[in-house]
Amino acid sequence: MTTAPTSTTQSKTMDYFAIFGLPRKLWIEMSTLEQKFLQMSWKLHPDNFVNASEEERDLSLKRSSELNDAYRTLRDPVGRVEYLLGIEGARKEGEHKQQAPPELLEEVFELNESLDELREAKAAGNDLAALKSRLEVAEKNFQQKLGEVDAQLQTVAREWDTALQADSGTRKKIMAKLNELLNRRSYIRNLVANVQKELL
Amino acid sequence: MAYSDKVVDHYNNPRNVGSLSKEDPNVGTGLVGAPECGDVMKLQMKINPNTQVIEEAKFKTFGCGSAIASSSLATEWVKGKTVEEALSIKNTDIVRELSLPPVKIHCSVLAEDAIKAAIGDWKKKHGVEVPVHEKASH
Repeated sequence: MTTAPTSTTQSKTMDYFAIFGLPRKLWIEMSTLEQKFLQMSWKLHPDNFVNASEEERDLSLKRSSELNDAYRTLRDPVGRVEYLLGIEGARKEGEHKQQAPPELLEEVFELNESLDELREAKAAGNDLAALKSRLEVAEKNFQQKLGEVDAQLQTVAREWDTALQADSGTRKKIMAKLNELLNRRSYIRNLVANVQKELL
Repeated sequence: MAYSDKVVDHYNNPRNVGSLSKEDPNVGTGLVGAPECGDVMKLQMKINPNTQVIEEAKFKTFGCGSAIASSSLATEWVKGKTVEEALSIKNTDIVRELSLPPVKIHCSVLAEDAIKAAIGDWKKKHGVEVPVHEKASH
């Protein structure tokens, strides 16, 4: 089988949602996505291009890796939101627009201080029991926060899905909310990871 | 990635690490963070209400070497300056002084934000009007 040249030029500008023929909605039926992915991967399988020209083989390989990236990104609920905000121009990596969630900072700072204390106590060979139990409580607390953020993300994602046709102001507001939630999430996740590392 | 000598120096010998009492009416506290890398930076200044001179500055930063160096340098720079002078410190000054690479520019932005936040907090304590969104609207 061969690929029509038009579809390849399209694929350069196609976003991950478009690759699967999906609207830019955040709720995706996983089984449908998987099915589409398998179908499309099968069509792009190198076996189908044994007798094709080298150019076509290269092309199918490129599209196949694109397809894999698209699937991996969309399959992950958080990665999907990040990606959507990226293509909608609402989240640019490395730009200092990203604001930290202020009410979290205080807690983050204190937790980091406790982590420091634990490291020092470890180095000095002191008794760690009290510090450890404090950190365990903190970890639970942050795990719970992570769960809350994920639940909020889901709510706002549904909001986005129903506002696909809404005016750009409404959409921008929703994207700002999503962006803030992602920031909160990355903070909390880093913390949980750090605490877990120290508690090992 | 290799850090510049100045970053390494600040990292190994950070200046003015510590904290001042948050309750002190003459102390302004700025707590800022960068979600990109999960850094959090606390900068505090003790400001003379009569002369508006920053008499003391302390910081504590959890983050990468560049974030630590940026805040360490910021405390060095603001000490002895007036509030107005301190507010004129730009993140680009920090970038230049520490030879920060492009991927670490956000660390210097964080330090500038921390200075502004600390002074903003102090002004609030003293009932001075501050344009609220000044520090946040890059």
